[in-house]
Amino acid sequence: MSTAVRKTQNLLDFLLTTWKLNLAGAMEFRLSFSITVGTMLINNFVWVFFWGVYFTKFPLVNGWRLQDVMMAQAVGCGAYGVAAVFFGNFIGIANIVSTGQLDTYLAQPKPVLLHVLVSKMTISAIGDLLFTFILYGLYGNHSPLGFAKLLLALLVGSTIMVFFNVLAQSLSFFIGNAEGLGFQVFNAFLTVSMYPTDIFRGIGKLILFTVLPAGFISFLPIGFLRDWSSTFVWTSIAVAVGVTLLAFWVFRIGLKRYGSGNMMTMRM
Amino acid sequence: MADSDPQNHAESFASNRTSRELRPSSLHEPRVSSLALQLAKYTAVGKITVRNNLAYLYDYLIRSLFLLVILYIFAQLWRVTYEGVGTPTISGYSFEQLLWYLVFAEAMVLSSPRLARRIEDEVKKGDVAYQLTRPVSYLLFQYATYMGEAYVLLPVHLLVGGVLGTTMFGVPHFGWGWLGFLLVSVGAFTINFLLNMILALFSFWIEETRGLEFVYYKIVFTLGGMLLPLEMFGGTIREVADWLPFQTVVYFPSKMAVQFDASLIGRMLGVQALWAIVLTLCLTLLYRKGVKKLNVNGG
Repeated sequence: MSTAVRKTQNLLDFLLTTWKLNLAGAMEFRLSFSITVGTMLINNFVWVFFWGVYFTKFPLVNGWRLQDVMMAQAVGCGAYGVAAVFFGNFIGIANIVSTGQLDTYLAQPKPVLLHVLVSKMTISAIGDLLFTFILYGLYGNHSPLGFAKLLLALLVGSTIMVFFNVLAQSLSFFIGNAEGLGFQVFNAFLTVSMYPTDIFRGIGKLILFTVLPAGFISFLPIGFLRDWSSTFVWTSIAVAVGVTLLAFWVFRIGLKRYGSGNMMTMRM
Repeated sequence: MADSDPQNHAESFASNRTSRELRPSSLHEPRVSSLALQLAKYTAVGKITVRNNLAYLYDYLIRSLFLLVILYIFAQLWRVTYEGVGTPTISGYSFEQLLWYLVFAEAMVLSSPRLARRIEDEVKKGDVAYQLTRPVSYLLFQYATYMGEAYVLLPVHLLVGGVLGTTMFGVPHFGWGWLGFLLVSVGAFTINFLLNMILALFSFWIEETRGLEFVYYKIVFTLGGMLLPLEMFGGTIREVADWLPFQTVVYFPSKMAVQFDASLIGRMLGVQALWAIVLTLCLTLLYRKGVKKLNVNGG
């Protein structure tokens, strides 16, 4: 077995073990786990209510039907769900850097960024993932191809979600405590990624496909799931790959600037 | 907690001490009714809360910037909707009125202090024991604090939300709507306090009440009219919303601000008063039961 294959195998084993342990830790308190997941489901159904009321009065919103808007909710929530369940620290990096907790990760023989990302599992996000599949059951295309498209859309969406936020969080390496800024960016990104892209115009729309690329997530239900527009599909995949590479590069540069803290931390 | 209410002990201790120490001088001073004294006491609590919160004004302002994002998205959605429908009003609201309605509605919800998590923390850490032994009514103390905080946050959120409204439509001219909003907002915050306090008191039994608060606010978002004015709802949902107290928290003040109606304000205040009486009774009963049941660890 070549070294590269062995390394990849080891990395995958490491990721799987971490996710398994994260889930086992969460399941330790079954009642709390169920309540957390359940309340998140209720939270998301508020939007089903909103759009349900909206579409009883207005059949279309700039070409988007009820099914499209519901799938936008499904994909937006699902992208966040995958990000927060499997890479839960994607919005915690700024805090980890500014409080000096990165030392723990630097001392271990694992890829630092990946290790940081998978070290946390946001339990409530399991509710978001469940919600995605409930909406898919109600409004999605149930053919094998439709399901494969949904999975691919979630992969692209979550990759953009994780690594765009890694970029925003990495500002901590350069400007000090960027926790507040990172949180605002994340909130804005997540919110706009669940609304029909076509309600935005001019500068608003330009921003969604450039500096805050949430448009590549919110347009997935149309460009990926409904119409399969080749241009959009390949552009969004290219954006996902580009943002990932850029995030790893910026994080690497940031690591060189990182000044260790003196806080003693221990990972259990 | 023990069989007897410690708060009663504290209050009787305070009143004994007051009567012993103040009796001689009271002969020479004008008599102040006990109600006025009570009022002054809780007004002082409210004032202190206002002063405490004013220290963090800048922080609140930064944190509420997210409100702009939400309102911007809603503005885009409703602009497209009004253009699509092609009529100047939808369910009686012009585009401008609807956007300002959302500004007031969001401001009301965001300015409501999150009581459940505060009281849950106090119970978990044991701090509630200190609160209960103070010579003040626990519920009135919480109410004064709640109102003090709400009325510091409300102008901040109105200012931030108002930036978007003013940019899009210019300075609003609500006339009596401002006064109507202010009046109805007192009832709205009071009912929100009562409902939240009822939920928060469950922490005397079950400790974890954040989930309840979370679900409560989802009902306020929907049936309370935060996301949509109740006129947008169809038949049954509207009827259900009309019989519940949640509309008094968000829909009433927001509607009164953008569509002031002198004939409606009396009815709104009356409905709020009725709910306030019913909920105060429920809260008082629950508190009496809860404070006997409370078991404080730590502190």
